Amino acid sequence: MLGALSAVRADALLPGREARAAHRSGLGAPTPPSVLEHLEPLLPEVRKPAQYVGGEHNMVTRDWAGADVRWLLCYPDTYEVGQPNQGIQILYEILNGRPTTLAERAYAPWLDLEERMRERGIPTFSLEHHLPLWAFDVFAVTLPHELGHTNLLNLLDLGGVPHRSADRDLADPVVLVGGHAAFNPEPLAPFIDAAVMGDGEEVVLQIDDVMRTAKHDGIDRAALLRALADVEGVYVPSLYEPRYIEDGRLSRTVPVAAGISTLVPKRTVQDLEQWPYPQRQIVPMTETVHERFSVEIFRGCTRGCRFCQAGMITRPVRERRPETVQRLVEEGVKDTGFEEVGLLSLSSADHSAIAPIARSLGDTYEGTVTSLSLPSTRVDAFNVTLSNELTRNGRRSGLTFAPEAGSERMRAVINKMVSEEDLLRTAEVAFSQGWRHIKLYFMVGLPTETDDDVLAIADLGIAVYRIARAHGKANKVTLSVGGFVPKPHTPFQWAAQDTPEEINRKLGLIRQRIRTHDGIRVRTNDPEEGVIEGLLARGDRRVADAVERAWRLGARFDGWHEVPTLHLWRQAMAETGVSLDWYSQRERDEDEALPWDHLDSGLEKGWLWEDWQDARTAVQLDDCRWSPCYDCGVCPGLDLVHDTGYQPGALLPVVATPPADLGGASGADLPTSAERYAATTTSVPEVAR
Amino acid sequence: MSARYRVRWTKEGRTRFVSARDQSSIWERAIRRSDLPIAYSEGFTPHARVSFPDALPVGVASTGEYAELTFAAPIRADDALARLSATLPEGMDILTYTEVPAGAPKLASLLRATLWELVWPPVDATALTTLLEQRCDTLLAATMHEVVRHRHDGDRTLDVRPAVVSLAVATGPTPDGSGARTTLRAVLHNDAPTIRPADLLVALGDGDVAPPALVRRVAQGVPTDGGVAEALTGVVESVRDDIVVEAA
Repeated sequence: MLGALSAVRADALLPGREARAAHRSGLGAPTPPSVLEHLEPLLPEVRKPAQYVGGEHNMVTRDWAGADVRWLLCYPDTYEVGQPNQGIQILYEILNGRPTTLAERAYAPWLDLEERMRERGIPTFSLEHHLPLWAFDVFAVTLPHELGHTNLLNLLDLGGVPHRSADRDLADPVVLVGGHAAFNPEPLAPFIDAAVMGDGEEVVLQIDDVMRTAKHDGIDRAALLRALADVEGVYVPSLYEPRYIEDGRLSRTVPVAAGISTLVPKRTVQDLEQWPYPQRQIVPMTETVHERFSVEIFRGCTRGCRFCQAGMITRPVRERRPETVQRLVEEGVKDTGFEEVGLLSLSSADHSAIAPIARSLGDTYEGTVTSLSLPSTRVDAFNVTLSNELTRNGRRSGLTFAPEAGSERMRAVINKMVSEEDLLRTAEVAFSQGWRHIKLYFMVGLPTETDDDVLAIADLGIAVYRIARAHGKANKVTLSVGGFVPKPHTPFQWAAQDTPEEINRKLGLIRQRIRTHDGIRVRTNDPEEGVIEGLLARGDRRVADAVERAWRLGARFDGWHEVPTLHLWRQAMAETGVSLDWYSQRERDEDEALPWDHLDSGLEKGWLWEDWQDARTAVQLDDCRWSPCYDCGVCPGLDLVHDTGYQPGALLPVVATPPADLGGASGADLPTSAERYAATTTSVPEVAR
Repeated sequence: MSARYRVRWTKEGRTRFVSARDQSSIWERAIRRSDLPIAYSEGFTPHARVSFPDALPVGVASTGEYAELTFAAPIRADDALARLSATLPEGMDILTYTEVPAGAPKLASLLRATLWELVWPPVDATALTTLLEQRCDTLLAATMHEVVRHRHDGDRTLDVRPAVVSLAVATGPTPDGSGARTTLRAVLHNDAPTIRPADLLVALGDGDVAPPALVRRVAQGVPTDGGVAEALTGVVESVRDDIVVEAA
């Protein structure tokens, strides 16, 4: 055949380890070879090729030689899913804001491209300059959930980096993980170098400093990991060892190096006002799951939903000021051209100034094509009012509420304080004000659940549907029902998880009950997906062998319907002696050590246990933003309580005095926010200048 | 007072992997960033009034893309469209524009033929050029030449010959001057059934020519003797003349 390039592998893209060192030195290092030339011929053959080319508005391209520490930030799933992630975008902006730090982004190639990359020796690459993973100093991976674990191993391997930490040396990047699933990184312990707990804004700069110093001083890898472990919030698994008792249960996880802390505390950014990121948000050139300018209006949640890991590990509540939200939105919409704005948080209607925020933004964008959205889970009429405010331009399509459980008793167990009356009244208000579709989120498989509790989901759906129909024949109700997966650092961390068979049976009960109501749609996740998630969520270090084996057997994209991997996991578990029953379907005792006990989310284990006991007797607990402190353990040690304006008449943050004696968060004599902001205006972080 | 403009723009470099579907939101957002008074469609989800006459296959480069933009208010076109061009992603640039008078013929009706360019990797250039020249001569001498197009919804047999206006093959230097490569330029009618470069390659390749490294839609307009008169400017882009200096 004439005109054909010979099918040689692109060997220069995966050089030997000695040849890599030059590219990894400090300022002035030669740029490693770009994979772009080898990648481009493959792109017309693969699905959604624009996801691999970068070039988006607000992409940052910095000179390799002009940086002395180089990060590759990664969301271990496709670009389509990972690009909108706020965490990556925050760190991208903060790190690239430093004069001699460079950060690029990487996502997981879909299977069609991975196959071709492996055939030709093309490594995991960045989007900015298409540079190979192996050349970066830090590979920082966010784990929002557990279903990216096999992708992480795969990206390392594809990137020419040994997937086990023990096999890596100074010629390899340091592999960091962060995000919610990093609060139990034990199933990944042999593969990662460190896990970073909690908010990333500040700690990432400290890690950057450690890397810079380490490279300058030329310290060895063991010393580097030791230096990382000295950064608050950084957990280096190789410096700890789990000890087990005879029956296989964990005894405790202990440090095995001198001077290493027995507990690793999470990091908490105390003042979100100092970290108004991401501002220069990436505008994708191809479809993603959320195409909008997003502003995090507050972080943390104290509603106390007992199933919710995010609400537990991100405490306390820290609000952004309304004027900052307004400014970020206005500047961001101008800068990006996005048509949609999302006001993000775990429960956005709970911002103490949400009404003025919504009103002000509603005023700004009334009569324009810019739409505003409030991803909301709170079930009350106020939420409808807010949504009306945000949809003055006329798009009243659907509202989403999350009662989470069907019966009053079940909602008391999970501490979701919504009454059936509230929900029905909310539905009445919504449909009467022109909303056409309500979507309700529920879970089955919750602790203490009976079939009556499950059927109550269907009955609640039917009751809402009756209201919907009374306001219009075309009105719709959707029930979205998922299987509950117990997560670490929550009161349900001791609970048994339902088997997928049991979840399926319960979903069947719901379908059976509503089958005469054609207008109700039921959407369910595949219960089998919860199996892998559950195993990895509460697994210990012994589960790592199953992770590695499953990946070797071909598991990746574990969260995708298109890629069935459960059979590979079952085989992997069988081969590595990991018992799913034991890890997932077993209820734990109070005295059992948990694999994440040495990782401190701030929550007292004793408080979590009490809350678990309250759950089992359906005792509810109020939100501590507007009721007395119940000593969950998070606030002491921070020089703030809840950074909200819940005090009467106030819209600005409320701050506690730095505590000598904070036994609890109630009743302190608080300085006004004006005093506080006067005191902090000079301490603008480096990146903000 | 609305104003309509037609622009010729490029889709080069990384942006050639953008699909026709994603292209619209890229333009809408760039227009919003440029703060231009674009008109919006009526309805539940208003869309900016930017239309593209035809889709380019994903992966194909172009200096011959077109768009029509309707503004809700008068603009200073040179300044406004230069700003838009600068705001579009790298690789997408506006080359020329014209204001559209009332009653002007539809843009699509001006795009009657396309000048395509196919560039091979710098391998076997002399032999490949000779072979393609022979095949081009044969194709031009024939009255019909059927090829089979394979698609997910079934095979389709097409006669490529009626679409072919002119063909030219040449050997030229690579951009860095280190080697030689073969370039084929073809002017094809746009009338249905549309014949794409891929169909032409089946006709010319006969199974023994590798796929080109790059396919580019150079320009569209009215077919002329030896090229295409570009739709907005009337400037003739030749099928033959500039092949050797194409590297620039």
